[in-house]
Amino acid sequence: MNVKETLKKTEEYIAERLPVDKMNYASMVQKKEVPVHRLSWSYYMGGLALFFFMVQIVTGLMLLFYYQPTVSDAHASVEYITDHIPAGGLVRNIHAWASSLMIGSVLVHLLTAFAMKAFEKPRELTWVTGILLLGITFAFGFTGYLLPWHQIAVNATKIGLQTIEQIGAYLPGAMSDWPRQAKEIIQGEASVGQATLSRFFALHVIVLPLAIFAVLGFHLVSVQLHGMSKGIDEKPRSMEKFFPTFFLKDLRVWGFAFMVLYILGVCLPFESLFSYPLFEPFDPKGSTPDGIKPEWYFFWVYYPLELLPLWVILVGSTLLGFVLMATPWIFKNTNRKTLQLIAIVAGIYLIIMTVWGENIYHLFKG
Amino acid sequence: MRTNPFPIAWKLLIVLATANTLQAYPELQKQIVKSSGRNVNCAMCHEHSDGPEGTAPGQIGHLTSAEQAELGRARAAFNPGGNVKSPILNAFGNHIINSLGKKQFLELKVTPAELADKLPQDSDLDKDGIPDAVELRTGTHPLIKSDGQPWLLFKANFAENFTQILLMLAATILGLWGLRHLLHGFDAATRSDVCDEYEESP
Repeated sequence: MNVKETLKKTEEYIAERLPVDKMNYASMVQKKEVPVHRLSWSYYMGGLALFFFMVQIVTGLMLLFYYQPTVSDAHASVEYITDHIPAGGLVRNIHAWASSLMIGSVLVHLLTAFAMKAFEKPRELTWVTGILLLGITFAFGFTGYLLPWHQIAVNATKIGLQTIEQIGAYLPGAMSDWPRQAKEIIQGEASVGQATLSRFFALHVIVLPLAIFAVLGFHLVSVQLHGMSKGIDEKPRSMEKFFPTFFLKDLRVWGFAFMVLYILGVCLPFESLFSYPLFEPFDPKGSTPDGIKPEWYFFWVYYPLELLPLWVILVGSTLLGFVLMATPWIFKNTNRKTLQLIAIVAGIYLIIMTVWGENIYHLFKG
Repeated sequence: MRTNPFPIAWKLLIVLATANTLQAYPELQKQIVKSSGRNVNCAMCHEHSDGPEGTAPGQIGHLTSAEQAELGRARAAFNPGGNVKSPILNAFGNHIINSLGKKQFLELKVTPAELADKLPQDSDLDKDGIPDAVELRTGTHPLIKSDGQPWLLFKANFAENFTQILLMLAATILGLWGLRHLLHGFDAATRSDVCDEYEESP
């Protein structure tokens, strides 16, 4: 195959996956239809994740007016926001709850899209950008966790970064030093300190939002160009217009999500789920309180990491990353029933490790 | 049946004799962790999370002479209602001493589980809707409004903000109702037949 043919095939591949001729109001909105069937509820999960992301942007911008990204003032500024700024506590609490709800809805969206075979041709790039969005969302969680500069934030970040360094023990020759170098690049100095906070802050408020806007833009345009995937093997009960019928239903789901978020924001401080010593300002000279752990959405990998040798987790994570990125090609010929079974098993694993991970850890480690 | 008072008296005597050297009360901390399953530290009652010994702010080594005198008065407040303000204790620690007196508090070192029952049941220092005595039992901080047993905190805040929640619910429903009409209007306006009719109309 010569260069000309290769370019032509590449052009055809991209044209099929990004049909710009359909990029008009009539195709993307007026003529778009959504299948109605037993799994129709899962079509709302992506929109729900988008809603929580928009809440994060709005509340994050509000917090940005008062937050101070310095080790001396970060914790005090968060306390000032919570206790002295009108509605500051509510905005901060909504930001914390929405981050968890966003990650939760992203995970459900991933599992349902997989079970419905929404990655089928020509939606491969939609899936791949979805996986990138998942990674960016986790990165948002990891970088945002450090910003309040309390005990759990700093100590959990230290544990996370130390894990990167430990990977070096499994790499040959000069490569064994790469993870340490990567850790120091992320950390910015010998230990978690001002340079780390500055970097995490820059990542959280500039780099990751820019990255997510670009990838999310592609993902959303791609979804609108191709329409909703069929989702099931049998014929759908009916088809409904995307605009305004489905869009209005989507807005109702957003309205319900907003009320849930608002009630949680007003009535249940996110911090009340943890013991208070974890939220004291980080003191490098003070004692480290018990119960340091990452956010709940990392439990599925954190508790196995505590129980199993690191190499097992490394191999497992690498494999998982590869399988997720290559899903449209690996599961190209797999039927939906098998995909649903895999999604259910993965969902059960995530629930068990998130809810009972600590109990399982104590069961084995005492 | 007459109980022998000596074991308790001996214990109390030992405790009182060593009161000046006993700076923190780990038995109380252990009891809270055991009963609530939550991790707590000295900051529940003390100014400093590592307890009173040391030179950091809120610790004995950091006190001025006036604060040391105040500490002495607090240590001598054996009876309830002393109205003391020990510089090494936070508002909840001082509330315990003022409510029970140092003598009764030291007696409770032997039976720390009873401390929550002996405290005033209606006091709520952080005004989070959960009484301090309940917070002591559940291992949550009586001076941090955002810290409380999640369900109790949810119920208290829900009741306190019920009107606000109802107003927000009404605003959301009305907003969605308005959006529904607006979007249906857009849909109708953008349909070609409607547009054509509009153009043809005089």
